[in-house]
Amino acid sequence: MSVTAGSAGQVTSLGAPGATAIEAEGLVRTYGSRTAVDGIDLQVPRGAVLGLLGPNGAGKTTLIRLLSTLLRPDSGTFSIAGVPHTDPRGIRLRVGVLPESPGYPRSQTSEEWLTYQGRLYGSSRPEAQKTARRLLDEVGLGDRAGSMIGGLSRGMRQRLGIARALVNDPSVVFLDEPTLGLDPLGQRQILDLVTRIARERGVTVVLSTHILAEVEQVCSQVVILNRGRIVAEGTTTEVVRRAAAPRAGVVRVPTHLRDEALHTLTSLRLVADDASLDGSPDEVPVRLPGDEPVEPSAEKALRGLLDAGIPVLGFSLEGGRLSDAFLAVTKEADDG
Amino acid sequence: MAEATAAATTPQVSRTRPSWLVVASQELRDLWLSGKGLTLLLAYTVLLSISTYLIATNQELNFLEQREAVSLTLQLAVVVGALLVVLAAADAVSGERERGTLESLLLTAAPRRSLLAGKGLAALSLWFGALVVSIPYIWWIGRDVGTFGKALVGGFLVGTLLALFVAGIGLLVTTFSQSNGVSLAISFVVLLALLAPSRLPTEASRGWAGELLQRLDPFSAGLLYLERLIINAHSLAQDLDLLVAPAVLALASPALALLLGGRLTLLPRSRP
Repeated sequence: MSVTAGSAGQVTSLGAPGATAIEAEGLVRTYGSRTAVDGIDLQVPRGAVLGLLGPNGAGKTTLIRLLSTLLRPDSGTFSIAGVPHTDPRGIRLRVGVLPESPGYPRSQTSEEWLTYQGRLYGSSRPEAQKTARRLLDEVGLGDRAGSMIGGLSRGMRQRLGIARALVNDPSVVFLDEPTLGLDPLGQRQILDLVTRIARERGVTVVLSTHILAEVEQVCSQVVILNRGRIVAEGTTTEVVRRAAAPRAGVVRVPTHLRDEALHTLTSLRLVADDASLDGSPDEVPVRLPGDEPVEPSAEKALRGLLDAGIPVLGFSLEGGRLSDAFLAVTKEADDG
Repeated sequence: MAEATAAATTPQVSRTRPSWLVVASQELRDLWLSGKGLTLLLAYTVLLSISTYLIATNQELNFLEQREAVSLTLQLAVVVGALLVVLAAADAVSGERERGTLESLLLTAAPRRSLLAGKGLAALSLWFGALVVSIPYIWWIGRDVGTFGKALVGGFLVGTLLALFVAGIGLLVTTFSQSNGVSLAISFVVLLALLAPSRLPTEASRGWAGELLQRLDPFSAGLLYLERLIINAHSLAQDLDLLVAPAVLALASPALALLLGGRLTLLPRSRP
């Protein structure tokens, strides 16, 4: 897989030819003078769980609406499971979508609504009813099949929305902020469900979210959008590495030498500008530059302290985090 | 991008019912079982009961000849039926848009026009409900003048044409309205504007301009047809020329709504 950070318009192959679930080339969509999606090229292999990240207004929802045929691109082409964008009905038969803020008919039961949705894909009533019951069991709402949707909790409705996204047995599922507004338990249930769906059904899942921990937990691939462009893509590890995000760490020194250690590390430019000393009295925060290998930077910090006569009692370095990479690549794109 | 193959496996779709019929049956269930349709008809029944009671019992208020009373009641049914239909149609898309339920409908394989057609049919059912409710009242008021059959057929004909016409208007407005309130308000004002010429004094309908307006305005023409049918005891075929405008508009308005329904989008003022 080739990955680019900070550049748009490069086709990235995430899988073998013929095994792609989503292929897009040069997708552009504008709203008036604002370009929401600006030349997106994308290839996602079948069975991948793709995390779609980006700050507010990055174009995530517009991209999902384009790929699910709710919107037409101004230019560019795409296909879903081999079906070209010129056949929107064919694509709708193959995709399932949980929209960002889905509404539900409050006076219908879960089963009735799912059955209705299934019938709009062409299933007969008995077929659609059977599918609805199976899906409700699958998302853990089997015992609420006869409940009015208006009486379900937000988490239950989100699970119902996921069941709705699966009602046509899709090849690709788009989940737009599925954990938005849920408590930690609800978030956990949704993520477990997403993982299970991807594993057991073998569908391609595109998960749009703000919560980076979710992506690290669930996704095999990541795409970061900013201002309608792809600014980074690849596996989480690859994105973190390529984003060259600074890495944080802590050096433990004798308490009475902490100020001196901070001064030494500051002179070596190994402390963040906004670093504070409100942690343990023997700890000094360090921040290693992301655009250099870790080992020489760490060695430089330790040698600098030892040369200043400060004994090092401990040294720990945090792993590269997706959140750091996210901030780095979106900031880089904004600056650029 | 690799060439997308149109030969990609198509999911097996067993077409047991056309999607417009699926939408219509669900919308009918929602309308009549959720209570909205029944509530509207109950309100209409109360209105009709009060007017019939006054016509039938109050000697001071009952200045109408019996045929006039039948005509008035039938016209009330037609106008209220049209009002119910236009409001239901005006809510069809913008209501879903506002409640956030439109997206899941647009994501299905059902064509946009099928969604509109199904919703339009459900809205039309309110007119038929209003007519059914009116039947015993019309029979009671006109029991001595033998106009019941003619009134029923004429009312069904005129009311259905006008209901089709206003259903089309409601669907057109709702398709392109972001707000449900705006959609309902516009549709209501359009209905009032169409009704206004029929309320003009008799003098205003004299002369070629007045007569033309009366024939072109579907409500004026339809209500005049009912007046002549019941009060003047004309035959059903005698004034059919008055129904040309209602018939043309009853076809044109829903056809236009369905034609433009292909442009139905999630965000009404943006390109699809």
